[in-house]
Order: sequence, then structure tokens, then C-alpha cells
Amino acid sequence: MAEILAGQGSVQFTRVTKRFPTRDGVEKTVLRDVNLVIEPGMFCAVVGPTGCGKSTTLTLAAGLYRPSEGTVRVSGREVDGITQGTSFVFQSDALMPWKSILKNVALGPTFSGVPKQQALEEARGWLRTVGLAGFENYYPYQLSGGMRKRVSMAAALINKPSMLLMDEPFSALDVQTRAIMSNELLALWEKTRPSVLFVTHDLEEAIALADRVVVMTAGPATVKAVFDIDLPRPRGQVQDIRFQPRFLDLYQQIWESLREEVAQAYSRSPAALKQQGAAA
Amino acid sequence: MSTVNASKKIEGIAANSSSTAVAARRSAQQRKRSILLGRVALFILVVGGWQLTTAFGILDPFFFGSPSGIVLRLWDWFQHGTAYGSLWEQIWVTLEESLLGFALGVASGVVLGVLLGESQYLAEVIGPYIKIVNALPRIVLGSVLVMWLGLGMPSKVVLAAILVFFVVFFNAFQGVRNVDRNLVANSRILGASRLQIVWHVIFPSAMTWIIASLHVALGFSIIGAIVGEFLGAQRGLGLVIATAQNTFDANGVFGAMLIIGVVALSAEALMAILEKRLLSWQPPSSHDGDVPGV
Repeated sequence: MAEILAGQGSVQFTRVTKRFPTRDGVEKTVLRDVNLVIEPGMFCAVVGPTGCGKSTTLTLAAGLYRPSEGTVRVSGREVDGITQGTSFVFQSDALMPWKSILKNVALGPTFSGVPKQQALEEARGWLRTVGLAGFENYYPYQLSGGMRKRVSMAAALINKPSMLLMDEPFSALDVQTRAIMSNELLALWEKTRPSVLFVTHDLEEAIALADRVVVMTAGPATVKAVFDIDLPRPRGQVQDIRFQPRFLDLYQQIWESLREEVAQAYSRSPAALKQQGAAA
Repeated sequence: MSTVNASKKIEGIAANSSSTAVAARRSAQQRKRSILLGRVALFILVVGGWQLTTAFGILDPFFFGSPSGIVLRLWDWFQHGTAYGSLWEQIWVTLEESLLGFALGVASGVVLGVLLGESQYLAEVIGPYIKIVNALPRIVLGSVLVMWLGLGMPSKVVLAAILVFFVVFFNAFQGVRNVDRNLVANSRILGASRLQIVWHVIFPSAMTWIIASLHVALGFSIIGAIVGEFLGAQRGLGLVIATAQNTFDANGVFGAMLIIGVVALSAEALMAILEKRLLSWQPPSSHDGDVPGV
């Protein structure tokens, strides 16, 4: 176990609690006592009700924030700064609108001091890999949402991360584009095999993509249950896999666990409170 | 109709839709022509009215000047120069003062704006003082500057720079504060140093705001130079206006105003070209005028 967790791209959360100060000076607990293990090269999806604090796990793994209690280890080392060897794909594209997509993809190598020509050459290769050859000099606003997402993935993978953190990366896309992007993500992942921490609120997406699905509770979030997904790889088309009996079986099990949390999170939402108020 | 179009090599228009395209273009041209006509008519109405009322003695040309008087006055200046040397020299002096002031003000505004936008501590320490100074009528500083720096160019350059600084500073500061936090986080994860983040993310992102302020700033730089000259100078258009005022030469005041207007408009046009180049990454917006049908 210890050996595995020292491997490149492994993630280990031990009793992690994270509190954020709010405006009125009271601290709000977002994560409570989270224990989580991801082995190198594993695709792990985190599901939970919206706004429960799933994304905070990503920012802790990336080293953007420190845990209030407990430790986060990535590749065996405790996180104490920006974590080396990680890349992040955001829900928004996080592309710089004033740079051509070629220069956007080249940012990673540029930041680490690779000579400009070489960085651009690498970026050109990655754009080809994600199917955007010929669009090098376009600005982000000139591309569709799906194309921009591909640029984001190329920009994330060019640094050859041992861990890829994804925060609801496809939730802003329409259903068809989302399925296409899921397939492409799997293909890219199988080529480079970083470990992936993939936050989503879409259970189907989580099961279709991941080796392991972690269900989190309504906030303050903690790990409620962990499910290993034993669907064979390569998974093939995510549109097809969801009709397999085993998929449906897993879906049923995990949804059983997730349902209560979703209901609880909803009962606390402003919309639900308003309804209750109207009923009373 | 379609053969005519084909011979003109208008590509990508199917034969049956070309006649509607021609009609649309014609109506757009007509619209343009009528706008131009309206503009010319308005000009003739105002300037002609002015000329006539002064010619018939309804308005006293001694106080109000007259278009023909302004033209003659300008002609005289161009031919024989002003009391302080050739007119071109006065224009050049004022232009030089405003451009130097503009450059100085923009540079300091951007640097300080980005610095304070980036550092919470500095912003909280220096912020209130900048607000206080901003609340003062800064034109009055011109008097102090003339006392300190004398009648020469530096006092005007500094006044223009101060006026420009505040406009640019507040925009740069706001621009930095509005940077997309995801972009900064992403760059940090991709391995950017703090300096690289400022150079690749913060600065270009704030640039939109800064550029928006440059139009106003350019106007302020010219105001600063002219007011500075007004308050005390040996050369420049402001001095020409002040002299004309003191000798009750209404045509002279208007003439100098006209020159300043032309200078400011040309500077504005150059600025628009610069802006277009710098912001080429933005999606074309609806204010890109002169599109037929808009």
C-alpha cells in the first residue's frame, strides 16, 4: 500500500477538514474529515449534490489551498505549495482570450522556461492530437464550446501531468458534445494514463468514465461511500455503455446512496425553503 | 442582373439571391448618402446662420466673432505667425507637452494601478490618499506647478501627466481586480511564477480596461497642456488663446479652439487605430459601425 501511494500521481487525503472564513467572520466548514485514496493511473470520479464542496477537494489536491486539518499527499509528498505535475481543467475554459489557441496550449512549457519555438512546436502537436490542426491562429471566441474544451485539455496535458484534476469540465456543454468529449477524454487518458480526479454531478458520466466513484454527502462534505466500477476497459463509446446490464446495476446502487444527499441538499436550498414557507 | 454580378466577380452569391443582395446594398448606399447630406445641411445651417447673424448685426461680431473672421484670422496666423513665432511652432509645443504628459501619466498610472491591484496591503495603505487627491480639483495644481517648475515645458507636462494618471490608474486598478481568478489559478498550476502571472495574465487582462481609459486620458492630456499654458507660458496654443482673450480677439479664441479640435480629433483617430490593433482578440461587437443594415 505504502509503495503504491508513493507512486507518481497517487493521491491520499487523510482526515482532511477545510474551513473557509465567510464575510461575517464565521468560519464555514466545507469539507469534514475526508479520507480518500487514488492509486497512480486511476480514474476517480467524485459525485455529490451541487454546492457540497466537491471542487474543494480538487483545489486542495492542486495545492491552491491548504487543509485546515489533516494532510493531503500527492505522489507520496505532502502538499505544501502548488503541486508539481498536476494539471487542472475547469468548468469554464480558463483560456486566455487575448492569446491564439496555439499560444494558449503553449503556456505550460512557456512557464517552465522551454524556448518559445520548441513550446509552440509542442503545442502544435497537441492541437493535432485533439483534432484542431489548422485552427492554431484562432482566438478562443472564434471556436465552439466543444472545441474550446479540447484546447483546455490539450493545454492541460501538454505538461504531461501525473495527475489530472477536472472540475465539472463538460457541464457547460450540450448533451451530444458532452458525449463526444467524454469519448475523447477516455482516448487521451488511455494514451497518457495520468491519475484523474474528476468532479461531476452527473452520475452517468461518472460511471461511464471512472474506475472508482466516490459519493460525497451534502455539505459539509465527507465521503459517504466508494464504489469500484468493474466495467472492462477500453470502455468504448460512453453512449453505448450505459445500456449494459452491469452499468445499470451500478447506477442503481450508487444512485441509492446519492439520492438521500441530493434530497437533503435540495431541502436546504433557497428554492425549497421558499416552498416550505409558502406551505406553512 | 446576375451576369453583371458574375462579371464583377462577386463570389459566393447564388444567382437568384444576387438581386436581393444588390437591392440591399443599394438601400444601404442610399442611407449613407442621406446621412452625409444631413450632416452637410446641419453644418451649413449653423455656420451659415452664424455668419449671417453677425453680418446683419443681430450678433455683435466683436464679441461673437464670425466664421469668415475666424478663417481670416487663421490665414493670417499661418501666413505671418503669431506674436510668439510661427503657428506651427505653437501647435508643436502644445502637442509635445500633451504627448509627453500622456506617456508619463499612462506609464505611471498603469504601473501603480497594477501594483496596487496586485497587492492588497499597498491598496489599503495608499488607496485612501489617492482618493483624497482625486477629489481635489486638480486643475488648481497647475498654479502650483507653474510656481515650482517655471513657465517652461515641464510644468505643463506634469499637469497633463497628473490629469492622465488618475484616469488610467483607476481603470488599471479595476482591471486588475477583475481578472478571472480561474485564469490565475490555472496559470499557477501550470507552473507560472508571480512575475509570469502578471505579465501573461494580469496585464493583458487589465489592458481592456486601460485601453478604454486612453481615449479620455488623451483628451485630459490636451486639456492639461492648454490649461498649463493658460496659467503661464512662453509658447503654445493655450498662450495664443490667453492673448486673444486679453485683446478681445474673439476670432482668435475660436480659431485657436478650432486648431485644438483638429489636433485632438487626429490624435483620437490614431488612438482608435491603435485600439483596434491591440484588441484584435475580442469578438467584433455591434458598435463596429457602418455595417449595412445595423
